[in-house]
Amino acid sequence: MKANVCSGLLFLLLAVIPSAANELRTTIVYDDNVTDLAAAREDAGQLWITTGDLKRATRFEVKPQGVCRDELCFPLPKARQQEFVQKTPPVTWFNMTAFAALVHQPVAHDTALSTWYFGLRSDQRQQLSSLQAPDFTLPDLQGKPHRLSDFRGKKILLVTWASW
Amino acid sequence: MAQDTGGAKDAGPWIDPLKYVSAKPELPPATIETAKKIGPLSYTVLIDEKHLVSKLYNMVNVPTGVWINEQGRIVRPNEVAFVDDRFKNFTGLDSEPYLNALKDWVEKGGKSDYVMSEYHLEKIVTAQSPSIALAAAEFGLGEQLYKSGHPTEAIAHFKEAQRLNPKSWNYKRQAYALTSEKDYGTTFRDEVQKIGGSKVYYPPPELPTSEKKQN
Repeated sequence: MKANVCSGLLFLLLAVIPSAANELRTTIVYDDNVTDLAAAREDAGQLWITTGDLKRATRFEVKPQGVCRDELCFPLPKARQQEFVQKTPPVTWFNMTAFAALVHQPVAHDTALSTWYFGLRSDQRQQLSSLQAPDFTLPDLQGKPHRLSDFRGKKILLVTWASW
Repeated sequence: MAQDTGGAKDAGPWIDPLKYVSAKPELPPATIETAKKIGPLSYTVLIDEKHLVSKLYNMVNVPTGVWINEQGRIVRPNEVAFVDDRFKNFTGLDSEPYLNALKDWVEKGGKSDYVMSEYHLEKIVTAQSPSIALAAAEFGLGEQLYKSGHPTEAIAHFKEAQRLNPKSWNYKRQAYALTSEKDYGTTFRDEVQKIGGSKVYYPPPELPTSEKKQN
């Protein structure tokens, strides 16, 4: 009976804690910024990263009120906290793919090269239908950044083109 | 906004043609003359190597133009935006009606007949669907792999982006340019033929006719 309880506990632990065996050298692209992670774990198509890497790669932080960056905050469902945050001291792991699903963010993954690309979240995509021109900052040929909203007060003809 | 994965390296010669030809005296005299004629550009040109603008504005080809008013509101959404006739033989499109529309907007602002009502715009400007957003993510992943020295591995993701968003010529043309059309088992010319040829490749801007303007 005791052995059964122990094996049950072991099974539970293995199911909950991301497996160390799948630790990889992982790269993520978030908001088009590329970050090589200090540590990552991939379990059944789920990507777990440390909360330190979360802040470094996305500027999001896990706070009592949710996953937040500046004024933007996505509350985590209370009953599902374990799906998003798990503590294995001294490290706290964050499930990036579960968070992406929560905020309706597309994820593309290359298994062989362990590279993950996180696309535009639903809140970013919805901006277009508000008819307010989505803002962006891009460099000119000399590398000087220009922000679209800096041209407020002028009419703008925004034209895309390419060399190809 | 140059939608070029190769960034300044690929887009630069088009932005500053004079500097480009000065460094390449071996170019044909006609090319050098054209560059001199174009001279320095008088408007802001930005490099968008992550295709961010195409993502944010849900664009599928170049050139695509959007009119944005002084308050930052879209008043004409994505449409083919030729401001000269250098590709007229291929497209069959005359740039004059579009240029006239632009001039009208500059002059009359919100009273221009070419400015669309918010009611009309709300019907045609829509957020990306989940599958189109996933296509953009696959394309972005392909770009990242390409830039990190894995052009072969990038191809599968470029193909997936094209499958998820078959209307995007950006995904086809940029991918062909990065490696080769052979990697995709087709050519740009064949793809254009599939939809009926170069004269329908670019849908002309839907500008109000003079009759409509009077109503």
